[in-house]
Amino acid sequence: MPLIAWDERFSVGVAAVDHEHRELIGLVNETHERLKRPGANITVSDFLGEIYTRISAHFALEEKLMRASRYEQFSEHKADHEHLLDDIRDIMDDYEDSQVFDEERLAQRLATWFADHFRTHDARLHHKLG
Amino acid sequence: MLESFQLAGRRAFAFVENAFDAAFGPRINPFYHLGALSFFFFWVVTASGIYLFIFFETSIEGAYRSVDYLTHTQWYLGGVARSLHRYASDAMVIVVLLHLAREFVLDRYRGVRWYAWITGVLLLWFLYASGVGGYWLVWDRLAQYIAVVTSEWFDWLPIFGEPMARNFLNNAAVSDRFFSLLSFLHIGIPLFLLLGMWIHIQRISVAKTNPPRSIMVGTLLALTVLSALYPALSQGPADLDTVVSVVRPDWFYLALYPLIDAWSPGIAWGIAGGGTLLLMILPWLPRRQEAAAAEVSLPNCNGCGRCFADCPYSAVIMQPRTDGLPYNAQASVNPELCTACGICVGACPTATPFRRKTELIAGIDMPSLPIRAIRDKTLTATAKLSGTDRVLVYGCQSGIDLTRLAQAGVGVLPLPCVAALPPSFIDFVITRRHADGVMLVGCATGDCYHRLGVDWTEQRLAGQRDPYLRGRVPRERIATAWVAPSGATSLARALDAFRARLRDMGPYQKGGSLPPPSASPASDQGEVSNAAYRLG
Repeated sequence: MPLIAWDERFSVGVAAVDHEHRELIGLVNETHERLKRPGANITVSDFLGEIYTRISAHFALEEKLMRASRYEQFSEHKADHEHLLDDIRDIMDDYEDSQVFDEERLAQRLATWFADHFRTHDARLHHKLG
Repeated sequence: MLESFQLAGRRAFAFVENAFDAAFGPRINPFYHLGALSFFFFWVVTASGIYLFIFFETSIEGAYRSVDYLTHTQWYLGGVARSLHRYASDAMVIVVLLHLAREFVLDRYRGVRWYAWITGVLLLWFLYASGVGGYWLVWDRLAQYIAVVTSEWFDWLPIFGEPMARNFLNNAAVSDRFFSLLSFLHIGIPLFLLLGMWIHIQRISVAKTNPPRSIMVGTLLALTVLSALYPALSQGPADLDTVVSVVRPDWFYLALYPLIDAWSPGIAWGIAGGGTLLLMILPWLPRRQEAAAAEVSLPNCNGCGRCFADCPYSAVIMQPRTDGLPYNAQASVNPELCTACGICVGACPTATPFRRKTELIAGIDMPSLPIRAIRDKTLTATAKLSGTDRVLVYGCQSGIDLTRLAQAGVGVLPLPCVAALPPSFIDFVITRRHADGVMLVGCATGDCYHRLGVDWTEQRLAGQRDPYLRGRVPRERIATAWVAPSGATSLARALDAFRARLRDMGPYQKGGSLPPPSASPASDQGEVSNAAYRLG
């Protein structure tokens, strides 16, 4: 079972943003699969790095769309993005630095992170962009 | 030979600029704002000119009289306006010529920059024509001299059926209508000059057309004081029935005139025309070889537009998607405009060293130094370092000689521009403990070889421009040094001081006691360090 399943409620009504959300969910699920397989942790940091990169680019695109549509909560949303990126970097470094590694905890942190991103912010943006 | 000429010029400019840095600080050093100052002086001339035009009479009798009225009777406004008009246009010639010389010695005129160079050279003609017209309108003895010599100069060209000089044989030959024509030209040519100035800056983005406010205020104040103390005066009314024997020309505009008189109009045409031609072909003597232009990787580009926003040369444009992915736009590079500075890569969110090595291709990347190579070089340079004061220096290769910084405990990685470094590399080096600190070395503040590299870097570090340096990265482990090539010694001292601070800090601890980025604006750090380095 995938860690996160795409849900139509996630849709913000912008094809590019939805496309990236689907890709990101796919990447997170793939990472989750990789975590569960024993001895596979050599590549986990690579997967996390890829997630970090894709999310950075995704936020960059969202911010462009928000600026273009003069989204009134832009600065809050932007601050959230920066905060979420710091979070992912923390997750990455925690993974790098920890001797004993808890796969489930990492997976849950990623899942929670995504849920937060969708629920609190993109819903508002949905109304604006849609 | 060209190189040694440029080197000598660079030394001369550096000598004067260091003195100005000492006096004003690098941010308001007028030498870093010569182009913008030209615009400023143009506006001063325009504003004072509009005032003068209200009182100016376009007739033989009226011209001299009305200027005399402005100068003496209405000295408090008209006189000051006349002097401002005169001195600001002189100042414009000075800053324009300095601008031209400086861009030449700093090698900012070849390659992609040929366009600004050529348009700039042509603007000189409009600038001089505007100025000469102004001297003519006053209709004093100097104007008479200019009228006669200019006519002789143009009559040498086989374009006029009747010699122009015939108009200035005696007082009766000049008509009032001629003054209307002159006034018209004195407004029309400067308008073309302004149009040309606009064309001149078309191929760069975020062109600086206003100097910093303190420079504007200070300059205007100085010009006004000068105008009050030494008002511009006429040199006695023109009288075409007598021959002008003694004139005091304004050398800024009229340097060529004594030559026309003393030698011959043909030689003067040779100097002016030949000089212009020589300047115009200069960008191809020889042509600058730019590194390969930036390339877009569509699978890694979602059209976020950050490269477009940061390119100093308008070489990146956003165009409709061509690969069928559901994005609206994609970046596209015009190789004719690209200087391979790499600033676009520094802006790209996919250019992070944390990615899978095999897939590390940025959405926009430099073929000469791709992001994967920067990652490899970062790892190679830091692998050799040991101790608690390991520093990796990322520096601009257009400015100071970076190789002299290399020593035990210090790795050096030259880049085409300091802003070609994506901020995530700083995060990577420090928080992954590849080094204890990162030093960024770029051109002197306000004088970036690639125009905007230092500004963008400071803003990225301060969280004011995308991509932000992550707030989690301890700022005290980053040092910035914006230095002129003459500042090598002080740069070495700054590096030593930085390493001493790193030793005191000890190794990086995650979540250390560090202020958020907003608490320590990077721009202030840059200013202080820069001033210190350049002064030292």
